[in-house]
Amino acid sequence: MTTEHTDTTEHTDTAQKSGYKYIGKDRKRVEDPRLLVGRGGYIADLKLPGMLHAAILRSPVPHARIRSVDATEALKLPGVVAVLTGEDCKAKMNPCMNFGPATVAQYPLAVDKVRYVGEAVAAVVAESRYLAEDGVDLLEVDYEDLPPVTDPRAAMEPESALLHEEHGSNIGCERTFEFGDVNAAFAGADLVVEDTLHWGRSAGMPMETAGAVAQPGFNGVLEIYCNSLNFSYFSFLIAGALRVPSNKLTMKPVPAGGSFGSKLAAHKVPTLAGFLALRVGRPVSYVEDRIDHLVNSDHHGCDRFYEARMGFRADGTIVGLDIDVVDDYGAYMQFGVGHHGNAFSQVVGPYRFRDVRYRLRAVLTDKCQQGAYRGFGSEVHNWVLERLVDSGAARLGLAPEEIRRRNFIQPDQFPYTIPGGNVYDSGDYPAVLDKALSMIDLDRWRAEQKRLWAQEGRCIGIGLATTQERSVFSSTEFWFLVEKPVLPVTSSPESATVTIDPTGQFQLMLHCQSMWGNSPETVGATVLAEEFGIPPESVNVRYADSAHALPSTGPGGSRYTVMVAGAIRGASRKLRKKLIHIAAHTLEVAAEDLELVDARVQVKDAPETGLTLAELAGTAYFFALSLPEGMTSGLEESYTYDHPYTTLPAPDGSDFGVFYPIMGHACHIAVLEVDPDTGIPSFLDYVAVHDAGTIVNPKSLGGHVTGGATQGIGTTLYEELAYDEDGQFLSWTFRDYLIPTAGEVPPFRIGHVETPSPFTEYGVKGGGEGGRMVAPAAVSAAIDDALREYGMRVRQVPVKPSDIVAAVQAGTVRAEAG
Amino acid sequence: MKPPPFMYCDPESVDEAVALKSEYGNDSLVLAGGQSLLPMLTMRLARPEALIDINKIGDLQKIERRADILEVGAGVRQYELEDHPLVGELVPLLPEATGHIGHIENRHRGTVGGSLAHADSAAELPCTAVALEATVVVQGPSGTRTIMAQDFFQGWMTTALEPEEVLVAIRYPVTPWTAGHGFVEVARRVGDLALAGAAAVVNLDEDGRFTSVSVGVLGISDTTVRASAVESALIGEAPTEENIARVAEEIVPSVTSGDDLHATRAYRRHLASVVVSRAITAAVARAHERSNGK
Amino acid sequence: MTTSTAAKYGTARRTVTMHVNGRDVTREVSTRTTLADFLRDELDLVSVHLGCEHGECGCCNVLFDGHSVRSCLMLAVQGDGHAVETVESLSVDPTELHPIQESFAEEQGLQCGFCTPAMVLRTKEIIETGHEMTDAEVRHEISGILCRCTGYQNIVNAVQSAGAKLRGEAAADGAAGGRS
Repeated sequence: MTTEHTDTTEHTDTAQKSGYKYIGKDRKRVEDPRLLVGRGGYIADLKLPGMLHAAILRSPVPHARIRSVDATEALKLPGVVAVLTGEDCKAKMNPCMNFGPATVAQYPLAVDKVRYVGEAVAAVVAESRYLAEDGVDLLEVDYEDLPPVTDPRAAMEPESALLHEEHGSNIGCERTFEFGDVNAAFAGADLVVEDTLHWGRSAGMPMETAGAVAQPGFNGVLEIYCNSLNFSYFSFLIAGALRVPSNKLTMKPVPAGGSFGSKLAAHKVPTLAGFLALRVGRPVSYVEDRIDHLVNSDHHGCDRFYEARMGFRADGTIVGLDIDVVDDYGAYMQFGVGHHGNAFSQVVGPYRFRDVRYRLRAVLTDKCQQGAYRGFGSEVHNWVLERLVDSGAARLGLAPEEIRRRNFIQPDQFPYTIPGGNVYDSGDYPAVLDKALSMIDLDRWRAEQKRLWAQEGRCIGIGLATTQERSVFSSTEFWFLVEKPVLPVTSSPESATVTIDPTGQFQLMLHCQSMWGNSPETVGATVLAEEFGIPPESVNVRYADSAHALPSTGPGGSRYTVMVAGAIRGASRKLRKKLIHIAAHTLEVAAEDLELVDARVQVKDAPETGLTLAELAGTAYFFALSLPEGMTSGLEESYTYDHPYTTLPAPDGSDFGVFYPIMGHACHIAVLEVDPDTGIPSFLDYVAVHDAGTIVNPKSLGGHVTGGATQGIGTTLYEELAYDEDGQFLSWTFRDYLIPTAGEVPPFRIGHVETPSPFTEYGVKGGGEGGRMVAPAAVSAAIDDALREYGMRVRQVPVKPSDIVAAVQAGTVRAEAG
Repeated sequence: MKPPPFMYCDPESVDEAVALKSEYGNDSLVLAGGQSLLPMLTMRLARPEALIDINKIGDLQKIERRADILEVGAGVRQYELEDHPLVGELVPLLPEATGHIGHIENRHRGTVGGSLAHADSAAELPCTAVALEATVVVQGPSGTRTIMAQDFFQGWMTTALEPEEVLVAIRYPVTPWTAGHGFVEVARRVGDLALAGAAAVVNLDEDGRFTSVSVGVLGISDTTVRASAVESALIGEAPTEENIARVAEEIVPSVTSGDDLHATRAYRRHLASVVVSRAITAAVARAHERSNGK
Repeated sequence: MTTSTAAKYGTARRTVTMHVNGRDVTREVSTRTTLADFLRDELDLVSVHLGCEHGECGCCNVLFDGHSVRSCLMLAVQGDGHAVETVESLSVDPTELHPIQESFAEEQGLQCGFCTPAMVLRTKEIIETGHEMTDAEVRHEISGILCRCTGYQNIVNAVQSAGAKLRGEAAADGAAGGRS
């Protein structure tokens, strides 16, 4: 079943069709009132008695041995309490948590060597951040420079200097995977397009940086407040790094002012704060400033160099894909090569071809390491696929929408197993394309494009992309790309605890910090409202700390809405059952004759007979002798919801199993104008249609689409974490790292199609990574289209005005010569 | 990112500010709007012994007409150039160019004198000062002196201001009623420092030919550039599209900026002639409007 | 330094009196403390968010004598004798939001909330000083504040909706003779 509607203007009420009362309606978010009065409760707002502040000395050189750090003068400064260095880390802690090669160890302060400009070298702890920075100014470091390793392709050569001598190579991981027979497929192709592509570094770059406040707390427990995520999943790994028993470390969740991946297990910040607090025996706050974050967030996005080929038949049918990718991981590999597992989750995009080869080389260089950024590598793969499809379409004389339509997996083919083993649960890709086309008059734009070029020399471009938006990762993707995985885990659960208090009011406990700008509280309250018929605004939502948390994986990979909905529904079923049994016992009616409607348990055929939740709650808490025999007091239930559909990879590595099966889809159409004399693009229209299954809150989902698309526009046109060939970092400030303002991005027009997932509660799919999965492909295509008379082809992002003008000039020279 | 320690001085007269500058010289910095200085302090790229805050000096905050001169005090906030009726009437290039300075939040605080003294080659006010042939008024221990804007800007963030001097005002010649002005800049985002930009003021004779052309160009060199070659080549010419585009190429040799994160040298060489051409074209259109009595 | 200069300016701390959200407050501050840190740390106005501390993100914007400014680019001592307004002046009660805050909630003109106080204040300033604005005009007027979550669309909607709401109220007041 697929239903569709368009935000605000063509809104069809999903809820009416589905029978849901709350799910599927535009509702105000329950998170917003506190944010609107400026009480978001962010980490920098937290002040503990006696709290000290840390500031970091950062390496000015890309690659060097640390001969010595002299803190004599800094320690003389009144207000400075301590100075700690990598030597202290080496002596008193273990390496940080790490899913990459064990031979690529890292500490929160550089040990023995610095491996990129900005790497933390020493921490000064002082009575205020001002004084801590004064202390940093007084530190003296003696560096012995080593040759910088900056080009990932040169880094693979045997003569290159090594980042990690113990690892023995700058190649962190090298694998080639083949599914089907790519050589045969290409041999039979009528057309093979090839491209050399580069996806440059950008990052989530939330307005709030990462931060942590650690204090030695009650009973010798180290308490770390932190705006990073996922810690109920692996706080024990941080405890291991700090050499603290895991039951003596409590991670306290703090809402985040945005993440987009950059606070996904941002473990070095809390690890460092914890380490400093243990050393000085007082609360220590370490909140990154913007320079800390830009240069050393540990969450730079992908930086990939592709040689890519795609084969086609003359009718436009795609026959195969051959990828050779060198990924510049920077100095460490905290998440291993999971970014490429993400690419495999949707390696064929929405298309039917079966033959895929994928050669991966993950390379270590003197740059900040990669982390997570909205898409986690699959957005890059989407861009490469769409670049190739557009190239094929142009060569074959097919319209962009036509070549895609000819290759779509069809609605009756689901569930559909792709090469590599992942399953797409459901979808209706033609419906999404049709919806997008219905929202924009392509014929008119194409006529306008011709007319404006002919009459005024103006360059209008239309770009269309159709991509997957995988959601709900399973933890098998942490390790299945690795030849000999150390810890082949298979769990990625999410839990919820629902409490009805003695007066009938609802508490919802979420078991991880999940508020990073998304709407976990709104989702939770909406699901509870649906289950119990209560007003969503009445639910109070709390977050468990790691000492109280049930199994939870946290948000990330567009999983949270699906997973928490499953957990809350599971807990709700248990509670409903208890309520009905209490009512049955009280009313002396058979339980099967009762139903829960609008916050009341009532007799099915005689709804006037019943008990309110408040009445039942009173009984549950205070009248044990009135409860059914064997029932205990209280109204609280928890439920742990495991990943709905994970299978193990084949032992011989011939497939990866099912690991990312809840598959969304989207189509974006961008219309822009490029001034060929200045290279400045400006948007004229932008349509985005997403299918994220059953929608919980259309307006919130639309916000993810527009926010993600804006980040995609940033990645494509503006944002760059740049290093020069000597390894110097060039993006130190927000004057260098250009986040789009309201002035650069278009008024988006949003549409929704709903193809419910057969595997999740309510049929919800994830949509959190939203527009960033699609926009780079659509915008790149639009730039090409605008400058087609000049032979423009976007082969690297960000594409800057100077790139565009250079292409225009080259195209002009070619035209004059030819 | 917190400012380092400094001695904070907030004199209430120019004389006192000059006395402080005389005492501390290069070990002191003047705090005007703070839009450039505070980031340098929070990044600890500047560590003055004394910070001389001139915001309490009322004498620096006047906008006055004196005969054919519009005098703007150094402490006047940039947004006032956009809002003040006298400025729009007497020197209409100024409000137009000022609108391109950063964002409104910066212009609410940033001052005219601060921008001139900071002398960023990509900044709007130094460029317009050069194009308008304005005069900078500075005061030192031995009194005031005036410096032509062209001579005031000496190099990368370098001016003719001596260590013991304070910039007090800038004098703009009133733009003749019949003149036309144009300002064009190209930046990657709204509010960004320009990749290149140009300010132009032109006068046309009764036959519609250029009798005077004054063009300042920003963002292409260590300092704002007066496009003299362009100007002299246009005198006596008709303001046709072809003439302007051809002559605008004369700016290219003045482009000395190298490659940076946001643009290549080759791009700036191209862009310089584009902005010069567009600014002159806009100025010509304005001159035509004025001669047509609009 | 000369004795007279030292006597006059040598002190590293000053007493300042500022009119903040309608009330006079007097505090002793270090002369190098930024206005943003003063508002956050001394007055607990934690709606003033530090996003970059070099004047580019706009999350610390406040109204200074009625004009929006970057509070990270000012010193607390410069606020002496001046009026400062933060979002707390609109409403500190999540159950009784100001109409501008309410418009942001209705339009979902926020996600993580970090740029939100600055956006709300800027909206107030735009509505008070401006006229009804097109989408493009609103975008230009709010371009000094970076939002990383929303893609701005819903913020633009919120600004326009709040403007319509407040101008409507003003018109109704005018028709009724005003509220004085």
